[in-house]
Amino acid sequence: MSSGAAALEALRAVARDPRSHIEAWRSIHPDRKVLGVLPMNFPRELAHAAGVMAVIVPDDQEPVTEGRAFLPEFYCGYTRNLADQAATGRFDQYDALFVADHCIQLLGSADVVRALEPTRPVFLGQLISSMSDPWAGRKTTEMMVTLRTEVETFAGAAIDDDVLAASIRSFNRDRDLMRQIFDARTAGDTAFSPVELQDIVASAQIMDPDEHHDLLAQVVADRAPRTRDGRIRVHLSGHLCHAPRRELLEVIEEVGAVIVDDDLWTGRRYLQTGMDESLAPMDALAQWYGGRNTALPCPTRVQHDVDWDAWLLDAVRRSGAEAVVHLMPKFCEPHMLYYPELRSALDEAGVPQLLIETEHEGIPLESFRTRLEALIERTHRNRPAYA
Amino acid sequence: MTATLNTPVTPVTDRTNRLTSTKKGGQMVADYWEDLFTARERGKQIVWYNGGALNPIFQAAGVAWCHGEAFAARLAAQGLEGPAQLAGAEHGYNAELCSYSRTHLGCAVLTVQGDEGINTGVVGAHDQAELASRLPAPDFFVNNYAGCSTGQQWDEISYRVFDKEVPIFNISHPFLWGNKPDSGYLKGEEWESASHYVRDQLLDLITWLEEKTGNPFDWDMLRESMTYIKKAAELRREGLELCKAKPAPATFWDWISAIAPINFLPGNQELVDYFQSVRDEIQDRVDKGISGVENEKYRVYFDGIMNWNKLGFLSRKFAEHGVAVLAGRYITNAFWQEPQLIDTEDPLLGMAQHYLLCPTNHGTKTLDYLTLRDCEEYDVDGIVFHSTRTCRAFTGPQRLLARSAQNNLGIPSIFFEGDVADASFYKEEILESRLAAMLEGIDVKRTQAS
Repeated sequence: MSSGAAALEALRAVARDPRSHIEAWRSIHPDRKVLGVLPMNFPRELAHAAGVMAVIVPDDQEPVTEGRAFLPEFYCGYTRNLADQAATGRFDQYDALFVADHCIQLLGSADVVRALEPTRPVFLGQLISSMSDPWAGRKTTEMMVTLRTEVETFAGAAIDDDVLAASIRSFNRDRDLMRQIFDARTAGDTAFSPVELQDIVASAQIMDPDEHHDLLAQVVADRAPRTRDGRIRVHLSGHLCHAPRRELLEVIEEVGAVIVDDDLWTGRRYLQTGMDESLAPMDALAQWYGGRNTALPCPTRVQHDVDWDAWLLDAVRRSGAEAVVHLMPKFCEPHMLYYPELRSALDEAGVPQLLIETEHEGIPLESFRTRLEALIERTHRNRPAYA
Repeated sequence: MTATLNTPVTPVTDRTNRLTSTKKGGQMVADYWEDLFTARERGKQIVWYNGGALNPIFQAAGVAWCHGEAFAARLAAQGLEGPAQLAGAEHGYNAELCSYSRTHLGCAVLTVQGDEGINTGVVGAHDQAELASRLPAPDFFVNNYAGCSTGQQWDEISYRVFDKEVPIFNISHPFLWGNKPDSGYLKGEEWESASHYVRDQLLDLITWLEEKTGNPFDWDMLRESMTYIKKAAELRREGLELCKAKPAPATFWDWISAIAPINFLPGNQELVDYFQSVRDEIQDRVDKGISGVENEKYRVYFDGIMNWNKLGFLSRKFAEHGVAVLAGRYITNAFWQEPQLIDTEDPLLGMAQHYLLCPTNHGTKTLDYLTLRDCEEYDVDGIVFHSTRTCRAFTGPQRLLARSAQNNLGIPSIFFEGDVADASFYKEEILESRLAAMLEGIDVKRTQAS
């Protein structure tokens, strides 16, 4: 096995078994803490600078059992899985839980953690989500200061500004490298499969950024570009907060499509925005948060002059995507609310599209396959005859 | 021979003894909507808003107001929600989306379609005449949603349905999570800072309304309106307190009927008179030992946002079993429920605090305190949780609350499914069988205790 293949295998292992990675990290750093954070906007740089391992808590593939007793079945699969992790002791890996986003379902799951683990700190530092307000910048800055203070209290150590700046550089470097791969895919390079890319991003959401970057650099060095072939070019949209099932990504390519871009949380949404290293670190954090919704609009934010649908159309034009597949986790209200906007914009632009609702507890893969095949056939008919 | 699909109907004796005074409120609310439907003709500007009761501010700004959830609830209570929801579905809104928002957005879609709606093939002209054409299009949107994150996005989507041509103002509310050791209901640094943050935004809203309407804000009108509302809220609280009596003189269902007046009717003497009559009727019943349900046998707490499709039906169902539904998060801990916070000379802070006190804007720690407190004070035998299908805000903490009530007070509970404004989610058999089972359990417990 080449060093690049071994490095990719290491990233894949973290993405698919984060518990083992966290346990290994703890054994190396017995006196340091592990912080669980919920997606999508907590700045992990703060925790990193405090010497804390900050993990964006992923859903795991375990079926929801005990967790069913704590959240209703019409909560999204991710939040029910989080409740299940808390109810079955799988949350024990984390010394605390921090939340920066105001999603009522996320808060519901965080409350389950708080109720079942009363000695474990659960902190909500609610970042303003109304981005057009004149006071949005000020409130963001205030909350970043609050988050810093809370992280310091949790870590038992003050955060040095220079160390925070170094953490920002580390995360930026890792995001930059991932963005290069995603941009290359948009430009026509298919060197990485969608499952590999998901593993790369999912592992980044767990690992130390320097460790992740070093492994990823080996992967990139070992992988030659590969030119896109004539398969139908598809953009994947949606799936906030957690990863879609890998087998779903595989089926999309099996039916004759090639995924050329996405706005998934375990994809471009995570890595699209960097922090401005020329700014004072706390200013950089605030500006990063404010800029994320502009760089890639999110339906959990409201910002009058920023449109997810317009961004999606631009992305489709950039990548040459011929069809869009919406991956909507069942019961995700922000996505449900914005979906008609996306649908209308794509319809008007003549872009074929397909909505697939996903669930945590398994997916009807063969049903999805049939619908995807129909989408691909329909999109083929859109191609000019000479193609 | 033709088989019949008709389900045999067992006649149910109506054992409710509803307050007569709440009927007056129904007429006041009907008059309010009629007034709103003709507001445009009278030259009024119209605001669509969601969340906390901003109506005193709109009253003082001289604009007519339409509360989105209230309009959706009204449609559901009258069985008229279908066309709006169908229009929403045709537009692309998923059936699992908050049915308040789905109904209201359906209204928005119909309003935008206007006369073209007849060509959609889904919603007929008659339905539009009943719904959207009677609901005047907005001149402004104001979002005042605390707790549920969906509210803010819902209003942003309304703004987009109207092609971003209707000005919108958004008030951000910190969720009262209870981060600090000193935090709790009506106390702590978190409460204080959030209160002032929202108050400051209300000031900005007033400035914004002055700009948009071109009219100076009438501060005296706000003080006067809040004086009436404070008095009405005090009378409402007194009435709620009186319902702790045994047998209960009035029930949760009476108070549900009284929500609309306290939530969005203008602050005036008529509102005070209404709640005075409600309170006085309850006092009279206490004095005479008159019960809100015939032969009260069980006392129950109701948690969940209201199932507007089934209001009368549910009141009769519980009464049929001798169950007095006494209190509930939706009435006891909502709607100007802490009138002592309102300084009528300078009411904005108290208003902001009430918006923050929305019963979906607390972490479960505070909800647990409130629920256990109310269950003890009303001396209930059990809790019925309305597992409100499309309302994640209300349902999220319910399992934890049920667990706490059982562990701390030994109070059993049941869950049944339904929804705020979509009758299709209601499961009659589930409620009936679970309610019967819980009441049997209470009987067994009583027998053992005796």
